[in-house]
Amino acid sequence: MTATAGPLLEVDGISVRFGALLALNRVSLTIPRGEIAAIIGPNGAGKTTLLNCISGFYHPYEGHIRFDGRDRTHLRPPDVAALGIARTFQNVALFRGMSVLDNIMTGRILKMRGSFLLDAVWWGPARRQELEHRAFVERIIDFLAIQAIRKTPAGRLPYGLQKRVELARALAAEPQLLLLDEPMAGMNVEEKEDMCRFILDVNSEFGTTIALIEHDMGVVMDISDHVVVLDYGRTIADGTPEQVRKEPAVLDAYLGVAHE
Amino acid sequence: MSDAVGAVLAGPFKDMVSSPAFFVEVVIGGIAAGLMYSLVALGFVLIFKASGVFNFAQGVMVLFAALTLVGLLERGVPVPIALILTMLVMVALAFAIERLVLRPLVNQEHIILFMATIGLNFFLEGFGEMVWGANVKRLDIGIPDRSFMIRGVQINQLEMTAALTAAVLVTILGVFFQRTRIGRALRAVADDHEAALSIGIPLKTIWVVVWSVAGLVAIVAGIMWGAKSGVQFSLSLIALKALPVLILGGFESVPGAIVGGLIIGVGEKLGEVYWGPLVGGAIENWFAYVLALAFLLIRPQGLFGEKIIERV
Repeated sequence: MTATAGPLLEVDGISVRFGALLALNRVSLTIPRGEIAAIIGPNGAGKTTLLNCISGFYHPYEGHIRFDGRDRTHLRPPDVAALGIARTFQNVALFRGMSVLDNIMTGRILKMRGSFLLDAVWWGPARRQELEHRAFVERIIDFLAIQAIRKTPAGRLPYGLQKRVELARALAAEPQLLLLDEPMAGMNVEEKEDMCRFILDVNSEFGTTIALIEHDMGVVMDISDHVVVLDYGRTIADGTPEQVRKEPAVLDAYLGVAHE
Repeated sequence: MSDAVGAVLAGPFKDMVSSPAFFVEVVIGGIAAGLMYSLVALGFVLIFKASGVFNFAQGVMVLFAALTLVGLLERGVPVPIALILTMLVMVALAFAIERLVLRPLVNQEHIILFMATIGLNFFLEGFGEMVWGANVKRLDIGIPDRSFMIRGVQINQLEMTAALTAAVLVTILGVFFQRTRIGRALRAVADDHEAALSIGIPLKTIWVVVWSVAGLVAIVAGIMWGAKSGVQFSLSLIALKALPVLILGGFESVPGAIVGGLIIGVGEKLGEVYWGPLVGGAIENWFAYVLALAFLLIRPQGLFGEKIIERV
């Protein structure tokens, strides 16, 4: 993709404040290209806030976010998306009234161009382009094994499938960096296994760099190359799953007791 | 007493059967009026779908579009050029509204945006009359207000043209919304702002697009109504007729706006012509509102609206 060496994403000492609450306190982390990174931590640790900063929904009052070597701290969400960062949401944010296919096609919107007039009469180039992108979307549908539900309105699907469709919509943008906010929350064991496999496949087949927030420690330890632990808005550990597992501060944060 | 009841209940139906050609004429008149209501309602639906804003100023936008067109025609601008200029004015208006009204109020409560459109309503009304004058104007776009006969049914040429134009416009909008990139983006924004932003849909552009499309729909509605009854302030009051159409059809449904408009148009014409004489007339004035009230009691989401389910 790009010739730039160095990490894909660098978060450098960012802080976010909501009123009196310091949601993020000088958090830093680095995600190299091609890696699966997990962000973990107890409820309210600031994980989603961090994700919202990276995707441009919040802006830190200090610190910097660099993507592909460039400072991207103050971009708005659509501009962040244009850079090649896609995301999913903790509470599933699908277009509920639209079919699964339309949801995923909408995810491809940045790859499509066209003029308003041509679109309006659904003529010539507009139509050709639509078909080209449709072909790509069909590949994603195959990849995530959701052929059977392509015409179903997204709002009617069970929760686990909604999460999968949301992943499909994010993939449709062919992102360089994929941010997943609790992709396995509320899933049963089988669904979790499927989702794990999809995440690993996306990473290996498309070479997409992935940052995910997850509570299931088993999953996190299995699939991530790198784990960052947040607690009360601070980074308390950063390393490989093995290193983090042994970190005393992590045990404290999770078990609430002092280690020996 | 029972005779009177019988006359109200059965009499009109006997009249309908006894003179079918006249009945068809009344229905056609109703469809024509209904499509015009639909056009105004469509402007509301487009903006409501994409931004959740109930645009109180839609009626005045119809008036403003008609005033601009008439003003240009009065100054000797040829019809096609005047039409294009009016379109440009409506698009420019959409840009201005996004920049000056919507953008500063982003993320505010819906009621605040609604109040802002009431302000917009008064501004456009005053501004339009300041620029183009307040007297009643005739709008003549070259379609004669004549009637012709087909198999004994009298058909008004102007109403027919209006109906066909409305039908074409509605079809194009339907395809546009269902099948194209921008149409999908519009629906996406209507469904979930946050998700739409996250996949790179810029809200600002979408707002300009919907307000522009609503402006173009307003031009068509303005021409049709203006050609029929002159361009004057009362034109903005047809927005009030669009409200019951919205309640019938559902605030978010394009097909709903069409069907709702037709039901009200045909219903009030039939009521006026057949029942009017029996109860003293003026049914056309209240029929739509009474029907809307009944709908609010029985099916508040409208014919095509999404069912409102409260989760507990």
